[in-house]
Amino acid sequence: MIGEPRRNTGSSRDARGFSREFVLVVCFFCLIALLGVTALVSRMYHKRVHSLADQWFSYGEADFRAGNTKKALIEYRNALAFSPANVMFQFHLALALAADGQLPEARAYLLPLLSESPGSGEINLALARIAAQQSRVQDAMLYYNSAIYGEWSDDPIEMRWNVRKELCEFLLDHGAASQAEPALVALDDNTPSGDVAKQKAAAQLLLRGQMWSRALDEFHSVLESERNDPDALEGAGTAAFQLHNYSQAVGYLSRLPKDRASDPGVPTMLETARQIQALDPFLPGLGMGEKARRTSHALDVATARAQQCGGTNGSTTSANTAAPHSELASLLATIQQNKRTWSERNLERDPDTVSQAMGLVFQIENAAAKTCGAPSGENLALWTIGQNLGNNLP
Amino acid sequence: MTETPTIPVASPRDPGQANARERLLSLWEAWTGRIFSLREDQFFLLLAVLIGIFSGLAVVCFRVAIEWTQLEVLGPSLSPSVLRVLLAPTIGGLVVAFLVLRIFPSSQGSGVNRTKAAVYVWNGYVPFETVIGKFVTCALAIGSGQSLGPEDPSLQMGAGIASKIGRSLNLSQEKIRLIAPVGAAAGLAAAFNAPISAVLFVIEEVIGVWSGGVLGAIVLAAVSSVVTMRSFLGADSLFRVPEFRVVRAEDLLGYAVLGLVGGGAAIAFLKWLAYARPRIEKLPYWTKYLQPAGAGLLIGVIGIRFPQVMGAGYSIIDQALHGQFTWKLLLVLAVLKIVATGISFLSGTPGGMFAPVLFIGAMFGGAIGAVEQHFIPTLSGSVGTFALVGMGTFFAGFLRIPITSVFMVIELSGNYTAILPVMISTMVAYFISRRFHKVPLFDMLARQDGLVLPSIEEQREQIAPVVEKAMQRDAALIFNASDPVVTILSRAEGKPELPLLLQSRREWRLLDRDRLKNLAEDKSRTYTAADADGKGPLPILFPDLTLEDALQVVGDWPVLPVVNRADLSKLEGVITLADILRTFRNAPAE
Repeated sequence: MIGEPRRNTGSSRDARGFSREFVLVVCFFCLIALLGVTALVSRMYHKRVHSLADQWFSYGEADFRAGNTKKALIEYRNALAFSPANVMFQFHLALALAADGQLPEARAYLLPLLSESPGSGEINLALARIAAQQSRVQDAMLYYNSAIYGEWSDDPIEMRWNVRKELCEFLLDHGAASQAEPALVALDDNTPSGDVAKQKAAAQLLLRGQMWSRALDEFHSVLESERNDPDALEGAGTAAFQLHNYSQAVGYLSRLPKDRASDPGVPTMLETARQIQALDPFLPGLGMGEKARRTSHALDVATARAQQCGGTNGSTTSANTAAPHSELASLLATIQQNKRTWSERNLERDPDTVSQAMGLVFQIENAAAKTCGAPSGENLALWTIGQNLGNNLP
Repeated sequence: MTETPTIPVASPRDPGQANARERLLSLWEAWTGRIFSLREDQFFLLLAVLIGIFSGLAVVCFRVAIEWTQLEVLGPSLSPSVLRVLLAPTIGGLVVAFLVLRIFPSSQGSGVNRTKAAVYVWNGYVPFETVIGKFVTCALAIGSGQSLGPEDPSLQMGAGIASKIGRSLNLSQEKIRLIAPVGAAAGLAAAFNAPISAVLFVIEEVIGVWSGGVLGAIVLAAVSSVVTMRSFLGADSLFRVPEFRVVRAEDLLGYAVLGLVGGGAAIAFLKWLAYARPRIEKLPYWTKYLQPAGAGLLIGVIGIRFPQVMGAGYSIIDQALHGQFTWKLLLVLAVLKIVATGISFLSGTPGGMFAPVLFIGAMFGGAIGAVEQHFIPTLSGSVGTFALVGMGTFFAGFLRIPITSVFMVIELSGNYTAILPVMISTMVAYFISRRFHKVPLFDMLARQDGLVLPSIEEQREQIAPVVEKAMQRDAALIFNASDPVVTILSRAEGKPELPLLLQSRREWRLLDRDRLKNLAEDKSRTYTAADADGKGPLPILFPDLTLEDALQVVGDWPVLPVVNRADLSKLEGVITLADILRTFRNAPAE
């Protein structure tokens, strides 16, 4: 209940004779004293608060680095409670939140920071990573690009290259090949020629982006510095293989140390490259005899593949057994019909028949691949030659 | 003999020093003469700045004291240990109860009502011990985790400082009465870091009038206190407010829904306080020593799981504004904060309701925003923007100060875009609150305390009777100066009740019938109205003036002309004291 205040006859005491001048002077001195006290108290308080904030922040940093994100989050929050406007604390809290999977909250901290420093590379990168985790490709690209062209306090060239690399990885992971291509080109163009590690990383990404030629150049450049680098050899071999440069591919892949043979793709690729070298009748510089021999061998291999796939042998091939694979049966029948025409001697005598015979070989390999699954060994080599040539038989 | 060198020492009667003293004295006299030769109004403005600086400094110390207490009592972590959470508010409550009941009894009650009481009841007197009492007890209470805020105590501390300065300077009684609201505005402005809201609050809730004289002083005090506060605690707003966007008109419907919910929640809170407070007041006196401790214990129990509800909760509001809570947690925090604040307030623990009200509003706003976004994903407002608008909404619904609520949100957000959603939401909440709870919070508290303070809300809505309502149309005869007296008398014949008015240029005079008759009897010449020597010039009134204004000028005049503002020679009607009194008698009772 509000009662009347005890007045101590206040007004009369005030009126007992103090002049206004005197009261104002007293007020002035009181003001000075209160200013001093306030300054002292607020300075002491701020000092205490800042030290607590720094302490909590350092705990948070230590725990975050140690991977204890939950604890780091609490400590960062405590630090922020004592210094709410501290941009660095907010940024680190946001990073911890993102690491803990609390992406919307992390974003909520980062967006105001970005509006204050729109050119900050760090903030844009953090936002890009959040967008990437949320699979918001357009946003992620926007933030990654802002980070690339943003301001970096430490080693901006290094940071920008790293962000470019991260952007390329993100785009490749999300199958955004068309968007990845310019990013990969930019990464390749910005990769310093003497930095082997970066060249290897860029080349690997170029390889993933199927930019074979640039990848091969980059790996080649690495191999000039480190002749036997296995990653570079494998990458260069792969790129050369994809560029149908099988001799080069064999050159690189055969230099790989044996422990790399554990990767099943490499021996297969090497074997295929070698077999292509051995089987391809269209390789430049071959004599007519060799061409005819290779074509004849290819016909034998294709016949065997068709028979194996159809479950019959050559002499007993019939419409009944090949019924389920009518295309293969008809192709096999064509070989049987032309057996005499495509004898090794005839092939040597008439070079045009080489193309016809090899055309049939490729058709059989294609049909067999469709019917009986991926080829292997010499069939794989023939199938690959066929794929590379397409409809452009010499 | 060697001559010892003598050091020239200025004697008190040294003429050079005497001159210096005289110069100093004359400077002093010139300065004081300049200060005190100011008119009282000008001096009052100067004083407002001084009050603002004092209040600002006091609020800085107060805020530091609260936070330091919190740091020492609850520890430096946002998640204190269970023991601390339970013991700090309980023991703090015991100490606060002892201080309030034994040492600082004047620090009980609402600061707003005490300041209003100072204006309307105690001639501007706010005891200075209130300032010290509020400072100590509130710092301890809020710092130990009671769910109360520092704004109301800051307001009262400002009023107390102002009152003390005003009394010490022997200001006129009228100025002393007005000085408490000036200090109140300064205290509130510094506490909120929002001068416009503080000025509006004091006008809207404490003094209720837009008087030019006092408005200038209030603004000056508020500005100087905020400047003082910022120079020590920084210019940052209480909250970091997120970017605000309203894309489409349909989005405003979402904010109207928030107004409905905010208004409903405000009514529930008001009804609970209205029901429980008188009952708790009736408990035996000795229980008052235990009530704050009991409240502290209950808040501690809540705080074990939800430490966010302890204290003023600014940092939690900040987190809600940035969408850092789920809607379920926001809703739980809003309800628990109502419970915790109600318990703290009902226990008689000194402290304000402003910060908790903002907290509750922000949590409700955020929760409503999140739920609405779940069902209407195209809604443009974020959870943070709903939390921001929610603060103003609950503020308007609970404290019934709609204009302050709207401007507070604008001032806190620094974004004019927020004005439409805030206006819609606060007005919906305000009207709902008015519809279902007739008496505003501060009036309710004052009445429960046995004090009949003027209700500013009622005053605001009261329509003052105007002259137009009381005046009589076509109830006078008007003449020109050239009209012959004979003509005047002939026209006035048979109409003794009608006053005879002489209109000459822009002046109005009242003609006396007896004097006219005397002139008419003199046949030596033809007299005109100008010769009749009418009474006047009469004070003129306008139809839109209030009857109170009319009363001030009616004096001993038997009748006054009511004229058109655009044409002072055009008579709209006449009014008499009897007309005024009759209209007052017939006016609906307050």
